[in-house]
Amino acid sequence: MPKIDPDGLHPTLIARLRAELNRVRPPQNQPRYLRAGAPTHPWRFAPIALAIAFTGILALTAFAATGSPNPAVWTNRVETVINPPSPSPESESTPTETQQQAVPAPPPAHKPTAQPTQRAEPSDSPEHESPEPGDGRSGTSSTASSSRSGNPPGDH
Amino acid sequence: MADDYRPGSREDFDRLYQVAYPRVYRTLTALLSDPAAAEDCAQDAFVQAYRAWSRWRPNAPAEAWVHRIAVNRAISYRRTAKLRTVGEVMRRLGRPAPSPDPADEASRSDLLTALRALPPKLAAAIVLRHYHGYNNREIAAALGVSERTIGTRLRQAGERLRRELEPGFPLDAVAALQAENRETYAKD
Repeated sequence: MPKIDPDGLHPTLIARLRAELNRVRPPQNQPRYLRAGAPTHPWRFAPIALAIAFTGILALTAFAATGSPNPAVWTNRVETVINPPSPSPESESTPTETQQQAVPAPPPAHKPTAQPTQRAEPSDSPEHESPEPGDGRSGTSSTASSSRSGNPPGDH
Repeated sequence: MADDYRPGSREDFDRLYQVAYPRVYRTLTALLSDPAAAEDCAQDAFVQAYRAWSRWRPNAPAEAWVHRIAVNRAISYRRTAKLRTVGEVMRRLGRPAPSPDPADEASRSDLLTALRALPPKLAAAIVLRHYHGYNNREIAAALGVSERTIGTRLRQAGERLRRELEPGFPLDAVAALQAENRETYAKD
C-alpha cells in the first residue's frame, strides 16, 4: 500500500508533480536584472540630501543675516565682510573731522556769512579795504606800505 | 548554502540566478497558466531581488527569499489577470470563443491545471514542499508566515487536489492511510 504524505498528498500525485515540473524547460533569455543597473544602496541619496540641506541652511542663515531674500545682497554682504574696501587716509580722516567739527561749526559759520551781507558795498573792491598809505591808523600797515615802495618816509 | 552568498556581491547574485532561476520559473509555472507570464514574473522577481540584494540578510536562504518575491509577483499577476479576463469576456459577449492553441493544450496536464486553479498561496506551498523539498519551517520563512499556517495550507491544498483529480478516491480512506502512516512514522 502506498504511503500518503503527512500533509495529505498521495505519493502518486507527488511523483506526477515532480515529473511534470521537471519537463518544464525555462527559457534561456538574457537575465532582465542585467539591464536594471547597479543594485541600489540605501544611502545612495545621502550626499544629495546633505547638499540640499546644507544649501537650505546657508540660505536661511544669509537671509537672517542680511534681512533680504535677494542673493545679490548676500554676495555683496559677503564681499564687504571678506574683502572690506581699502581705507585711504583722506577719506577716513575727512569724514571724522568734518563730523567732529560739524557740531560746533554752525555758530561761527553763520556769523561770517551774516557779516558779508551787511558789508556788501565795500566788499565789491577788496583793494579798498586796505588802508591808504600814510593813513596812520596802524604803524604796521604804514611800514608795510613803505617797505613795499622801497622809499622809507624818513629818507626824504 | 545561504552562507555562500554575500549580500551586494554581483558575482554571487549571478550564481544565485543560475541556480535559482529554473526552480523559481518552475514554481511559477505551477501557479500561472501562461508560460510567458511565468517568465515575466520570474524575471521581475530577480530584478526586484537584485535591487535589494545589498539588504538581503543571510539568516534566510537566498533562494527562499527570491521565491517569496516571485510568489508575491504571481499573486499580483493573477489578481490583475482576473480583471483582464472579465474585461475580455465582456468584449467577446455574443462572439464565439477563440479556439485554444494546440501547443498550449499539449503542454497542459490535469495536475498542473488543478494546481493553477488553487489559490496561489496554497499552490506555492504544495510546490515548495513536494517539488523543491522544503520543510514546513523553510516554507514558512520563505513565505513569511507561521509553520502552523503552512501546515493548514498544505492540508487544504491536498484535499482540494484530491477532490479535483481523484473524485472516486474516498476521503475516509485517505484519513485511514494517514493514520497508518503516522503509526509507521512513530515506529520508525
